[in-house]
Amino acid sequence: MSTNSFLAKTMSDVLLNRRSFLKWSSALSSTAVLSGGLHNISENMPLTPAAKAAESAGEWVTAACWHNCGGQRCVIKAHVVDGVVKKVKTDDTHDDSTEQPQIRGCARGRSQQQQCFGADRLKYPMKRKNWEPGGGKKELRGQDEWVRISWDEALDYIAGEFKRIIEQYGNEGILETGSTLGSLITMLGGADKLWGSTSWGTWLYTGPIIGLGDGLSLTSHNDRLEMQNSDLVVMWGGNSAWSSQGNNMHYYIEAKKAGVKFICIDPYYNDTHMILADEWIPIRPATDHALALGIAYTLLDEDDPENGPLIDWDFLDRCTVGFDADHMPEDADPKKNFKDYVLGTYDDTPKTPEWASEICGVAPYKIRQLARTIGSTPKVSLLTAWSVARVNNADTWPQMFMTLGAMTGNIGKPGCCTGVSCWERTADGGPFLISAGGSGAPRASNDNAISVSINNNEAWSAVLDGKYVAGYDDVRDINIQMIVHDSGHALNQKVGMTKGIEAHRKVEFVLSLNLFLNTNSKYADIVLPITTQWERYGFLKGNRDHLIWARQVTEPLFEAKDDDWVARELATRLDVDPDVVDPMPLKQQVFNQLAGATVIKDNGVDFEPLLTISADDIAAMEVEGEPQEGRITLAEFKENGVYTVSRKKGDKLGYIAHQAFRDDPEANPLKSATGKLEIYSEANAEMVKGHGFNEIDAIPTYMDPIEGYKDTFEDWDNKVKGEYPLQMFTIHYRRRSHSIFDNIPWLREAFPQELIMNPVDAEPLGLKHGDTALVTSRHGKVIRPVFLTERIMPGVVSLGEGAWAEVEEDTGIDKAGATNTLNGAIPTGQGHQGWNSLNVKIERYGGPDARERDYKWSQRIPIKEA
Amino acid sequence: MAKQLAFHFDSSVCNGCKACVIACKSKNALPVDVNYRHVYEYGGGGWVADPLDPAFIQPNNIFVYSLSIACMHCENPACVDVCPAKAIEKRDDGIVVVDSDKCIGCHYCSWACPYGAPQFDPDEGTMQKCDMCADVVDEGGKPYCVAACPMRALDFGELEELRAQYGTANEVAPLPPADITNPSFVMTPHRHAQPVGSKVGRVYDDEV
Repeated sequence: MSTNSFLAKTMSDVLLNRRSFLKWSSALSSTAVLSGGLHNISENMPLTPAAKAAESAGEWVTAACWHNCGGQRCVIKAHVVDGVVKKVKTDDTHDDSTEQPQIRGCARGRSQQQQCFGADRLKYPMKRKNWEPGGGKKELRGQDEWVRISWDEALDYIAGEFKRIIEQYGNEGILETGSTLGSLITMLGGADKLWGSTSWGTWLYTGPIIGLGDGLSLTSHNDRLEMQNSDLVVMWGGNSAWSSQGNNMHYYIEAKKAGVKFICIDPYYNDTHMILADEWIPIRPATDHALALGIAYTLLDEDDPENGPLIDWDFLDRCTVGFDADHMPEDADPKKNFKDYVLGTYDDTPKTPEWASEICGVAPYKIRQLARTIGSTPKVSLLTAWSVARVNNADTWPQMFMTLGAMTGNIGKPGCCTGVSCWERTADGGPFLISAGGSGAPRASNDNAISVSINNNEAWSAVLDGKYVAGYDDVRDINIQMIVHDSGHALNQKVGMTKGIEAHRKVEFVLSLNLFLNTNSKYADIVLPITTQWERYGFLKGNRDHLIWARQVTEPLFEAKDDDWVARELATRLDVDPDVVDPMPLKQQVFNQLAGATVIKDNGVDFEPLLTISADDIAAMEVEGEPQEGRITLAEFKENGVYTVSRKKGDKLGYIAHQAFRDDPEANPLKSATGKLEIYSEANAEMVKGHGFNEIDAIPTYMDPIEGYKDTFEDWDNKVKGEYPLQMFTIHYRRRSHSIFDNIPWLREAFPQELIMNPVDAEPLGLKHGDTALVTSRHGKVIRPVFLTERIMPGVVSLGEGAWAEVEEDTGIDKAGATNTLNGAIPTGQGHQGWNSLNVKIERYGGPDARERDYKWSQRIPIKEA
Repeated sequence: MAKQLAFHFDSSVCNGCKACVIACKSKNALPVDVNYRHVYEYGGGGWVADPLDPAFIQPNNIFVYSLSIACMHCENPACVDVCPAKAIEKRDDGIVVVDSDKCIGCHYCSWACPYGAPQFDPDEGTMQKCDMCADVVDEGGKPYCVAACPMRALDFGELEELRAQYGTANEVAPLPPADITNPSFVMTPHRHAQPVGSKVGRVYDDEV
């Protein structure tokens, strides 16, 4: 390469360059509603490096990073001068060490100044120009002009529509997709709610039923220091470097430095593997279950208890049900056991590595090698991520994964575990060592409220077709005429967005409370500007080893208001007691969480209060409470913003998942129906049947996923490819926490929302690196620049989930590449969303603006002011 | 020997997350298209029929690593020599700084620098670059990128001390040969690092 290839790119046509930032800033200071603190924003923006010296004034405030990224729950400190955040840093409250790591934030958390102070913040309530009570020109949603209205107008309209819709259609006429107006809506008689697993795939419901855990409420993997005692980590799916940023990935690195080997199974040699992988086993998306069965077959086939044991028969005997005919529940057919299924005793299909390889693409000899490695290595952490379970028909995948761990005995022993290492618990399982207390705010309840629950996959078809599945053999009618987006990003983040937009154009009223004109708001009739957490009193958030007290950074910007204020104002207009929907000042709630915070003692058993709080502290906070003694003072916690529990190897704060159960399963039964790990789980099969979409076996049998590998073929037996020949899996993308931050200029520049594709697949299509591809699925189409890399398996493409859809009205093409434009709503099993089973075709796209990077697009500023 | 401050970069643990890039953006209030620090992805390899089972394909030497690169505060900074306005100088502690009051924005430094460190800011009309957070360093602190790194891949300090701690490596592909400017830089190469000048891989350009 040329030594000058690093030269800066052309500097033209910058969207949010410093000049426009300043222009916006001066617009800010001329906006009448602003509090005094912001008037100096333009003068305070540093213009030259020399001018940066003038930064001595101001205060470092521990600021919230409240997003559901799946990261560490990190420390972000904002340098605040006159109510404006000038710059951001991370945890520097103590020296960094393995025992007490600094809780360092990621690119996303550090970009929040462009979120809170974004030029595209919603500034005041708005209504769609052609909306009127009853709907107006409903087809114009998403393309209509916006008109500024006062808060009183907005609240009166909204209260009027609540009344009208409830009178005309009943409470079933309202679909509430979020939660921040939940108390109000409960007191009004309730609304239709959505149910179903999202990120967790099938782990959310199946994980606890089979006794293993789900990676969320019950962790199934060991803590970060115990992981260092493993000989081998098998990382089956997952990409902590992109999804769970902050320290989680660092904990894996510490394990690697301690000598742990990593085998990574994934369609993509991702940035986590770049650092960790000793071996990468490429696998087609949505075929993991087949590979696992091939491993199970090999373990059975090659196990030699005397000379080369691969299976822990003692563990299977004592701790599981359903492995073989001798270990079945009393009322079950003994023939329906797992072992005979794997061996093909009754179905004439042994699940050999050869059988598996045709589906998963891993050569049979490699499957055998993998089985031998897992079976013969003394201490293995078998870790997976929820991604593998975000597949249509994957309802027994958690059972399958657990069964591999049970067969090889990698559960409940030092250095051994089998489970989900994901989200904020990535690489660090176990109960919290430090936690905030409860807020003390009572929840509104109403015995007369309706209880209608619609599966996420049917949210939009329920609106369009007027029907939804309520359970086994139970299809019900429904007439939804009002959609309330009170938090969340349902339209963008649930499968089947094309139908979602259609649904939004059918109902009579759509309300959105938000920070931005995101997809929910874009297709709404009235939008309300809501404050960020930086504009509120604060809150507590942490992870296993630490607790953060995030404080207010600035006063509410523009006319933005808290959700609770909106609920209170609507309550007064709807004859609901405002103190029921907004029962306690946030400040008091935060105080209660502080006072109730507890931290574990060194003995690993007892907890003590975290904080010493004096009568003066209580008076200064202007709250009600009692003085108390704790480990550190309130002042110290406020100053540092974070308290971190110190860990060291051999301390009493470690965690080995299911250790007590393994040692004595009768005395320490799991929360499954049988108290054991359920390889045969009638309860799981019943749960799935009860949801009414389809039925499954009680053991983890392989089901072809809808839109899996086989569906890329028109003729599977002769291997003739069909109309949608490629598999796509969606990925948690670095730019965003789900859809949050998609609009942040710095992050758009850093992470371009590219289609990841192998050159082998691109070349025949005439696609070169950086060209724009048209991606078409059975459900929608998007365009995106292609990022050609050998790191992704041929036949597979990937795109980050969460981009804010930019649908062109004339072509239906989504320019932003929102994956839910491509993912259709396919309800299966337990009603999870099968994002990683998806077939697409790809073509070269030469349309207008094809090569323009999205950070150069105009921001979504609904009303441009002179 | 004169005091010389330097960066250390550990490519074996860098996952390319760009927390350093954004930390730098925030510290220096940089707009899009102006970056004092860049993260590059370098890799290569391909796919072949599996020699043990030709019915299947398998990866063939697929490798990748990240490089987080800012100004190298070189011993022989190419930028200083070419600046017609004499706006760039090396401080006593070795940090190379641009005086914006003198800079005429002619781009010569950016063309001369083999690392692409100097950046043109179209609003200011001047060249700007990493000054190792000199204001923070002068107060005894660490550069923002170093304090930011969630993977602990960045460090800074006296060049000789960093060499004593981490070794003397200062070039891998696709960086330019170190003998052009003698960068004040110490790196820990990734396990798949290719020698400088290697054509085995390519930069996976983010500017797709």
